[in-house]
Amino acid sequence: MVVRALSPRVHHEVGVPREKVAPASSDRGASGSNSAVAGLSQHGDGSTMTVVSTASGLLAMLQEHHPALKLHALNNLNAFVDHFWPEVSTNISAIESLYEDETFDQRQLAALVASKVFYYLGELNDSLIYALGAGPLFDVTEESEYVQTLVAKCIDEYIHLNVKASESIEESPPLDPRLVAIVEKMLDKCMADGKFQQAVGIALECRRLDKLEEAITKSENIPSLLTYTLRLSQTFVTKREFRQGVLRLLVRIYQSQPSPDYLSICQCLMFLDDSSTVAAVLDGLIKGDKVDALSAYQVAFDLFENEYQLFLLQVRDRLPEARVSTPVDVAASGPPAAASVATPAQPVAVTADAHSAGDSGPTSMDTSEEPSERTPLLAHEPQHVEPALSTSPAQPVLDPSRLAEDGAESSELSTYAQRLARLKGILSGETPINLTLQFLYSNNRSDLLILKTIKQTVELRNCRVCHSATIYSNALMHAGTTVDTFLRDNLDWLSRATNWAKFSATAGLGVIHRGHLQQGRSLMAPYLPQNGTGGASPYSEGGALYALGLIHANHGEGIKQFLLESLRNTNNEVIQHGACLGLGLAALGTADEEIYEDVKNVLYTDSAVAGEAAGIAMGLLMVGTASEKAGEMLAYAHETQHEKIIRGLALGIALVVYGQEEEADTLIEQMTRDQDPILRYGGMYALALAYRGTANNSAIRRLLHFAVSDVSDDVRRTAVLALGFVLCSEPEQTPRIVSLLSESYNAHVRYGAAMAVGISCAGTASSEAISLLEPLTSDAVDFVRQGALIAMAMVLMQTTEARDSHVGAFRRQLEKIILDKHEDTMSKMGAILAQGVLDAGGRNVTIMLQSRSGHDRMTAVVGMAVFSQFWYWYPLVYFISLSFAPTAFIGLNDELRMPRFDFISDIRPSVFAYPPSIAPPTATSAVKLPTAVLSTSARAKARQKKEAAGKGPALGASSPGRADVGSSGEGTADYNESGSSGKDGTAMEVEAGPEKKVAEPNSEVLNNPARVVPAQEKYIKFKEDSRYVPVKRSRPSGFVLLKDLEPTEPVELVSTDSPVAAGAPSTANGSATAATANAPPSALGSDDWDPQPPEPFEYVP
Amino acid sequence: MEAKLADATRLFQKFKAAFQQNDLETCSNLLSQLKVKLTEFPALPPLYKQTPTAIQELLLAMDIFEHAIVLSVKMEDQDAFERHFLQVKPFYTDTRGLIPQSQEEYSILGLNLLRLLVQNRIAEFHTELELLPSEAHEHPCIKHAVELEQSFMEGAYNRVLSARQAVPHETYVYFMDLLAKTVRDEIAGCSEKAYDFLTVADAKKILMFSTDRELQEYATEEHPDWEIRNGCVYFQKVKDSATCKEIPSLQLINQTLGYATELERIV
Repeated sequence: MVVRALSPRVHHEVGVPREKVAPASSDRGASGSNSAVAGLSQHGDGSTMTVVSTASGLLAMLQEHHPALKLHALNNLNAFVDHFWPEVSTNISAIESLYEDETFDQRQLAALVASKVFYYLGELNDSLIYALGAGPLFDVTEESEYVQTLVAKCIDEYIHLNVKASESIEESPPLDPRLVAIVEKMLDKCMADGKFQQAVGIALECRRLDKLEEAITKSENIPSLLTYTLRLSQTFVTKREFRQGVLRLLVRIYQSQPSPDYLSICQCLMFLDDSSTVAAVLDGLIKGDKVDALSAYQVAFDLFENEYQLFLLQVRDRLPEARVSTPVDVAASGPPAAASVATPAQPVAVTADAHSAGDSGPTSMDTSEEPSERTPLLAHEPQHVEPALSTSPAQPVLDPSRLAEDGAESSELSTYAQRLARLKGILSGETPINLTLQFLYSNNRSDLLILKTIKQTVELRNCRVCHSATIYSNALMHAGTTVDTFLRDNLDWLSRATNWAKFSATAGLGVIHRGHLQQGRSLMAPYLPQNGTGGASPYSEGGALYALGLIHANHGEGIKQFLLESLRNTNNEVIQHGACLGLGLAALGTADEEIYEDVKNVLYTDSAVAGEAAGIAMGLLMVGTASEKAGEMLAYAHETQHEKIIRGLALGIALVVYGQEEEADTLIEQMTRDQDPILRYGGMYALALAYRGTANNSAIRRLLHFAVSDVSDDVRRTAVLALGFVLCSEPEQTPRIVSLLSESYNAHVRYGAAMAVGISCAGTASSEAISLLEPLTSDAVDFVRQGALIAMAMVLMQTTEARDSHVGAFRRQLEKIILDKHEDTMSKMGAILAQGVLDAGGRNVTIMLQSRSGHDRMTAVVGMAVFSQFWYWYPLVYFISLSFAPTAFIGLNDELRMPRFDFISDIRPSVFAYPPSIAPPTATSAVKLPTAVLSTSARAKARQKKEAAGKGPALGASSPGRADVGSSGEGTADYNESGSSGKDGTAMEVEAGPEKKVAEPNSEVLNNPARVVPAQEKYIKFKEDSRYVPVKRSRPSGFVLLKDLEPTEPVELVSTDSPVAAGAPSTANGSATAATANAPPSALGSDDWDPQPPEPFEYVP
Repeated sequence: MEAKLADATRLFQKFKAAFQQNDLETCSNLLSQLKVKLTEFPALPPLYKQTPTAIQELLLAMDIFEHAIVLSVKMEDQDAFERHFLQVKPFYTDTRGLIPQSQEEYSILGLNLLRLLVQNRIAEFHTELELLPSEAHEHPCIKHAVELEQSFMEGAYNRVLSARQAVPHETYVYFMDLLAKTVRDEIAGCSEKAYDFLTVADAKKILMFSTDRELQEYATEEHPDWEIRNGCVYFQKVKDSATCKEIPSLQLINQTLGYATELERIV
């Protein structure tokens, strides 16, 4: 009361200021009830300026009884609401009641005014409701902020409701038709304005397939829009079911196009798991002309790249059988490898077989009869390699005849059958694996000196872990190259591996010979378990079975049966361990019931060592099938007492739900709520694998939650690590997300953060990732250093110092850690492994968790997941080799041979060169040249290095044969021939010497097949006047089919080194080694400084 | 436009005639017709179109609304009064530069102030007052309203009631009658707060009722929560003491536990 009474008095007493304000009466109005008036609504021109100061008159008019007056008021309010909404908002109830008045015929206008007022008040939900009520008066085409905001809101709301409706199980109430109308109006407008990408985006978000189809078909550039949609559907559509709908639609549209893009169609179909349609498409294509056949091959190669074995096999099996009526077809329709698939490796393989048979040397078949002749590689002395050379002369004799035969065959074979056979060859993996193997072998640039240094320092200190680590490192460095020189050179040293170390040493051969499908079994023969002869060490036998699995990983058709028998014939848990892992790898994702049952029997023996492998193997078998077997595994995990078995099973269950996304949520929930930390830990893997590469927000949220809240360090570590898998499609995100975690007080979390960055940013050399990992490499805790070093190596794979200066520093750091005798064993092991990863696969591979077309490579992701288990079980390190992908450009013609073909890499060669060799200073002056990248000198150098390793003669001698293969017509000018001998190789280097002074060229010419690292792809250009044109233009890497523009000209093929030359020795060993061969296992275990493992015991809790 | 204007003017003449004769029903009929006609004039607020007849239109409209205000007073319709006043207001403020000041302006404004006082809308009263130029305060109509408000605020209710005799304009009488009721309400409100109960005699005196019956009626109509028994008026029902707030113990415990777990989780 008092306060109120005071105010007028004050004004009375202080009358003066009021005088001052008096003249500007209209301004006073502004300072009164509404402040929005200032400077608005100026009608007329200057002379008589009338400013509307208030809307109260209009608001009062709303209360009038006469409808005409109300209408008048509303109309004017609608015009002035932008300025007077604060005033109108106080009277909003009047407008609302007008809208609700059924008898009032301008309700929509009232709704519009109300909507605008609510919009200004920030009440978008109310605003939207009234805007919907406004019907046609709400004009979506208007350019005002109000309309744009509301339309956005409208679409958001629609998306929200639609998504909710599609996700809830029970029938949800139908959507407000007015809302739908607005969204559709908006979509139509987008399309009318030609903004089709927007329309596609909205349609996808709204989950409106009909609109999506309309948008795509209406656009002028359908193909590009289809590609855009495909990309969106992979990256933004998180709901699996809807994504499949989109893909089905895309396939339909693609097929309706006049010239369908079969590559994309088949990619879509692969996602839909529709093997029969793919088979039909491919079949249709190879019935067409040459270009169609080329694209069929390209499709097959692209499908192969995604490494989805089960699907590939289904497609192959659904392709029609080639007619067996003509006798020559027998070869083609026989083994899936199809003898008529004229891969360059084929003749050599035949040669080797012929030779070894002639030599009565043991092949894979007859080893069992002549056990005395078995000579394990690990027991070889260097001179035993010599007999291998005798294979070479045989080649030139056989090859031409083979070629002639081939030519004769092809004329008789119907083109169709031939093509079908080729196609099957690709789908079964034979052709691409052979080509890859050749590439990795002939371009091998690994640096043995690095290994030598490691070996020397490790020898000094008699460190068991480091000894094994060196063997792992060697295997990784030579993964897929078939070069086992290092092992051969250091047999004595190698023989110090005992027990499980021997297991991994033997298994390492599998990594080195990965993909060596034809020879794999004979290579490993000396170590494989034999019936009746129990002399061999179970460790090397188990390792050999594991190695076979690695060689045949994901393409184990031929070896499955053998592995299965080996598993059945043994009761030794070490052999069972190896056999289970081998089977899991070879039959990856095939869901083979028979194998599953056998593996399960092993599991039920409840032996810790075998059970762990069995658990993993069951997962590998059932990868991505989401079969109900997972429940069975979970039940057993609860039953058993062995932690190792539980861990194996937990990982196995995670593998089963691979890629299932939401559909795996029930199981994930069940696992993450389990009392047993090991099962929760499996739950983290399940999350990682079910949502691999989706960057799904809910998965990330859950993982982050576990990373900070779980009580078990193992679970926390894994949760962080799992982030790397979920984010592997968006590597730039990962460092940001885990950056806080990398500073955690908990060392396990730090380790997880390092590995997460390593996994998702592998091969990217991203600067954020490096700056996050750098401090961790000198962490106070040894295992964090280990993880960080390995992760750093993964990130920096194939990076040159020209691209990122950290590489050099990192290499020096690794060297320092390895040499430092005070360094902890853990980090030393990390450094040695890191060295192996950094220089993996002769530096021609990188870790690729996603294929070039942006799909996840299942094998790679699975390999990486199992690899990350090496924390508990070192032999699992080898699984990382599954995620290695060759960084190659391999151009093929319609006969799937490599023609001579040049293209340009439009950047300084040093940016993507191999890292300089660390050879002794005298030798380096010539070697460290930037010109090293030219494939001629690269080849020469590779040879030179092998020569340095004492293998030169073997290669030199085998070269004439190769030259013959290459030049069927004219091959005399083949540079390869000149470069193949060691002497010429050095000559090249001498020539290259002066170039050092010359400024580095801005581009270089690459020859098919060439090393093209992923970052280099954007610099690749094809020559305009080239004879060959690639079928797919998108990405110049991987397998690329080339269209021949001058088919009448004779084809000039690239001659290639065949890995068999190096691989042969082990099969073609002479009888001279019989003495050593008799006791290979004992030779390995002779100076046994490893304590015997404890006696088996029963665990009684 | 000319024709419409003439038409409206004619209608307005009829209205004025009826107004003179106090034929209120005809007046309100005519008025609503007039108002509809006015919507057709673009020169009126808020459009302010520069038509050739703009001045006439504005003047006519202002005149119509001023009459409408007086009419609503006569018809004792406060809502209509407010409506019309709000509609006439732009003519006093926004169109200053276009048309001369109306004769009736201050009396209308004073009337409005009085209305606000009657309706006990003191804040708006002062807002309106602030908008007036200082010379307006000298005008008897405004001065009257201001003085009334002062007396009202000071609690000098007797002065308020006696001011009825000195109205500056005949139309003010209606509001002065209403003001008595406002004063009574105010007193009633204060009494509620000030006393637990009053004897009927005292209450009658304070609330200016002459009979018990009037008091009874007032109590049942305006303040049903009052209770009259034993010759006293009890107000205490109104003062239901706010129960002292309970401590939200469960919530606090939950929060504290939450903090504890969060602390555990700190990365």
